[in-house]
Amino acid sequence: MAAVEQIGAARPRRKPQFWTVNKLRVVGIVVLVGLWEAAGASGLFFQGVLPSSFLIVKALLSMMVTLDFWNHVGVTATEVLVAFVLGGSTGIAAGLLLGANRYAGDVFEPFIHYLAPTPKIVFLPILLVLFGVGMGSKIALGTVSAFFPMALSVMAGVRQVSPVLLRVGKTFNLTTAQTVRMIYLPALVPPLATGLRIALGISIVGCLLAEYKLAKAGLGYLAGRYYEAFTIAPMLAVLAFIFITAAFGNVLIERLVRLPGPMDRRA
Amino acid sequence: MNTVTTNPVLRLSNVAKTFVTPNGSVRALDPVSLDIRQGEFISIIGPSGCGKSTLMNIVGGLLDDYDGEVQVDGVPVRGCHKEIGMVFQEESTFPWRTAIDNVAFPMEATGVPREERLSRAKDLLRLVGLDGFEQRFPSELSGGMRQRIAIARTLAFKPRILLMDEPFAALDEQTRLLLGDKVLQIQQELNQTTMLITHNIAEAVQLSDRVLIMTFRPGRIKQVIDIELPRPRSSKLMGGEKFGHYVAAIWEDLREEATRGLLEMEGARSGS
Ligand SMILES: Nc1ncnc2c1ncn2[C@@H]1O[C@H](COP(=O)(O)OP(=O)(O)O)[C@@H](O)[C@H]1O
Ligand SMILES: [Mg+2]
Repeated sequence: MAAVEQIGAARPRRKPQFWTVNKLRVVGIVVLVGLWEAAGASGLFFQGVLPSSFLIVKALLSMMVTLDFWNHVGVTATEVLVAFVLGGSTGIAAGLLLGANRYAGDVFEPFIHYLAPTPKIVFLPILLVLFGVGMGSKIALGTVSAFFPMALSVMAGVRQVSPVLLRVGKTFNLTTAQTVRMIYLPALVPPLATGLRIALGISIVGCLLAEYKLAKAGLGYLAGRYYEAFTIAPMLAVLAFIFITAAFGNVLIERLVRLPGPMDRRA
Repeated sequence: MNTVTTNPVLRLSNVAKTFVTPNGSVRALDPVSLDIRQGEFISIIGPSGCGKSTLMNIVGGLLDDYDGEVQVDGVPVRGCHKEIGMVFQEESTFPWRTAIDNVAFPMEATGVPREERLSRAKDLLRLVGLDGFEQRFPSELSGGMRQRIAIARTLAFKPRILLMDEPFAALDEQTRLLLGDKVLQIQQELNQTTMLITHNIAEAVQLSDRVLIMTFRPGRIKQVIDIELPRPRSSKLMGGEKFGHYVAAIWEDLREEATRGLLEMEGARSGS
């Protein structure tokens, strides 16, 4: 069969240019920090609006040794986690139902489509009345925020499962359970991963916004208080902390929901 | 061993199909009746849109709502039959599985132990010329290679009746010929009953015991041509005088249908 092998050669595996890519990333960060410093030193802005990154790091370090800071972190982390789990799981369930069931899809899809891009912060007054000024209203807003992107991407994912693959399953006499396990679930991994990442990001936004508006604790509340006192360096330190933690959360999800293979380049 | 029993393995009696769509109904298939013997290799050839895929989906049990009857070993079937395997016209490999895991798929579903199914999948990949590509994902392979994975995967199901819908359409001519030889060799070893849908006249002559020519829409069987070339066959036959004679005879019948198809397509384009 040597002849057949040579015909129709395989596409080469893309070699990740590890060093080049990482070097460029480091260069990018250095350039950004440099621009920041230059803008701060240029005198074009009010003094203190763009504090030196050195000051921000210093503020962060001195904050991180206080117990008070970690209390705020704990409050926000709890809110985000609960919201992410609640909104994510209900979003997955709704997405599966609406994707697989045509009737349910026809009835409820417009609601989801029109509500999804609406800023969820408009619900905050209602949620404050319903769940109080404490963590309840923050969790509620985060949950509502996470629900929509999750539902949308799972719904689209279910609908995009290739009908040919389902027919292949049929000809091999798969049971319903096998069809779900061997075809639907693996096919849903990419939309699930995307949905989870967007849901995490947006539930963080939801919780922080709600904290910023009206709260007694949490990182959003903390940043808001620094802002009102016009202490910019510590405020930016809080934001940097949030940013870095969220980025790690994203990496974690990517690792957990590892794509089983290169799926994006289909002919 | 080529036992040719008199009872047909596969019998189609007046199988017909009309698709009902919101824009009216489409008669895809006029009644087709056909007996296929154990171990027989038949090809169906006809213009695009004449109902070939529809016919295959009916025999494979993927379309329930049709007229007439399909029998396997004299027993009427509805739904997917355990002994019928299909290779589809469309891209059908699982993108999240490597080549070897794709081929092992049907064995995984029937609970063949891991070691055994992987070693059998490896053998089948070698058979279709994909030695060394076991761990590649479909996205890393060419269209022709993916189609060969799909063929190997269906063979792993060990179907007694094999239905193939233009399986070689994505392949270049040379690969097509060599793979045709392979399929023929496997088919003869296993005494598999095979129904191949194709656009390629030479391919039909190379592989088949009988070639069925279908009319333009609605499809029905216009002509059956017995190919009396000696077996075992291979693509080497292609130069022969008899081979050319069959190709010419089939084209004679097909020309008219293809022309009708072409005219209708042009009419539809200018008419609207
Ligand atoms: N699901 C469907 N709904 C409506 N019409 C269909 C459907 N499937 C096929 N057809 C129509 O039936 C005819 C035969 O299609 P098909 O069997 O795919 O032809 P072929 O495989 O010979 O090219 C075509 O006119 C096609 O448009
Ligand atoms: Mg077709």
